[in-house]
Amino acid sequence: MAVKKFKYLSPEWAEEVVKRVNEKLTPEKMKHTTSSMLTVNTNCPDGKDRAVYYEIVNGVVKEVSIREGKMPQAEFTITADYQLFARISRAELKARRALMSGKMKLKGPLVKALKLSPLVDRLNEVIATIPAEY
Amino acid sequence: MARKPVSPKDPYFIDFPKRVKSVQAEMKKQGIHVYLGTRLRTMSWTTDVFCPWRSYIVIPPQGLPTAITFVIDAARVANDSWLGEEYVLGYGPMGGQDQITLLANLIQPHLKGGKGVVGIESGTGTYLPEGHITQYEYESLQKALPKVRLQNAHDIIDLLSMIKDEGTINRFREASRIVDIGHREVLKSIADGGYKGMTETEIAGLAAHAMRKAGSEWEWSFTGGNEIASGYRTGFAAGACTPATRKALKAGEPLTVDLHAMFKLALGDHAHNYLLGPATKRQKWHARNFVDMVKLCLRTYRAGISPSSLADKVLDFCEEQGFADYMVPGFEHGIGMTGDEWRIGLNDGPFPYWTNPEHKYQAGEMVICAIQYSCPEEKIGFRYENPILITTKGCEVMSKIPLAIEEI
Repeated sequence: MAVKKFKYLSPEWAEEVVKRVNEKLTPEKMKHTTSSMLTVNTNCPDGKDRAVYYEIVNGVVKEVSIREGKMPQAEFTITADYQLFARISRAELKARRALMSGKMKLKGPLVKALKLSPLVDRLNEVIATIPAEY
Repeated sequence: MARKPVSPKDPYFIDFPKRVKSVQAEMKKQGIHVYLGTRLRTMSWTTDVFCPWRSYIVIPPQGLPTAITFVIDAARVANDSWLGEEYVLGYGPMGGQDQITLLANLIQPHLKGGKGVVGIESGTGTYLPEGHITQYEYESLQKALPKVRLQNAHDIIDLLSMIKDEGTINRFREASRIVDIGHREVLKSIADGGYKGMTETEIAGLAAHAMRKAGSEWEWSFTGGNEIASGYRTGFAAGACTPATRKALKAGEPLTVDLHAMFKLALGDHAHNYLLGPATKRQKWHARNFVDMVKLCLRTYRAGISPSSLADKVLDFCEEQGFADYMVPGFEHGIGMTGDEWRIGLNDGPFPYWTNPEHKYQAGEMVICAIQYSCPEEKIGFRYENPILITTKGCEVMSKIPLAIEEI
């Protein structure tokens, strides 16, 4: 049976992220964290910039939505090229490594970001299980 | 989380928000939109935290400043400071989190159309951890904020920090009280032949232990913590810096014990001297000279005099008494919250970033009365250091160990 593939950065893909993350990552695993994150994918294949907005409340992912144009405020904004984010979401590259390379830029308090980085790794591991088309 | 607020009734209370407002008022007068502090003394004076890593403080035209330090220490700085974690950021080697990007992001919102004046701290100093902006930082910041004019503005902090407030003075008094505990412990240990078999480093360590027990945070000086010298090491030509060594203390030699303690970023610094008996007549003559000269120096300090007028008076006395050859011709160095350890007053003397010899002392200023007597050919020297508060009619000597050179 053919596996359904989700178009990366589509609303369906975002819905699948919420579903899988909340299935696999309990609030305990997410350390009951409350935060928000915007990952801005620059130079998408259609030439636009597109972001994923994550809202996490008490360890539960409440919202994952795709944003264009005016971006919402988030505690953390991570900006990188679309291809780089694609590699991270395929689990080919760790987000931390991308940050250390300087190719990915983080805006937000670094102390808290470092504290949350294992959670982001867990989140990305789950996202990487979603069959996606880029 | 920030530390708990300190009550204004606390003897060590310092009104830090008021300090920031006074900087902002001065910035406005000078047309500076944002002040970027990099010096350790500026970090101490504004944040009330020891910042051992490269750190920055960005002071906007209004509101609270933001401190930036190495991420491994940012949570501790936030915890210890009055500022709290929202106003303390960590930098690290990550995209968007390097020092220059964080600084530019903090400064940018206070500039109209990216234009404006940013006050920086440029210069030089004798003190290693001074912390002036580096060439790399200057150039990178200019590149990140191309329409900004970077203007040297450290005089703002230097001027505002010159006269000490009551909380600062009380912190200095406590740091000196702690130093005196260290001195008493040293005397107890070396008396009655106790010094035999001891080394300079051991003396430094036992003093440190006693002072730490009494609440000292650090033997703060970059000159090797507690400076202990014995024998020929007390009398280096024109020397006044003796990190402790493994040299063993010996009978018949002089001993200089120069202790440093830190209490809430205020600095204790007192040097006391001994003759490890039996002392010769000649050694005792040197000792008397030194004590007489220090007494004269302390009697002379008051508001209105200058370092050069004090030096003239004391050196004339040394000449009259026949020991001017052994004097290092300087009698004080600056002092403030940690990082502020060398220049006195403002940068307005004939040699940039050195004390202006014509600086007129004002009541409320503090200096370390620092005197070195050196006779290398006789392998003898003495040092006096003591924090003093300048008053209208004299000075308050903070370390209370009686001035003397005891024969042990």
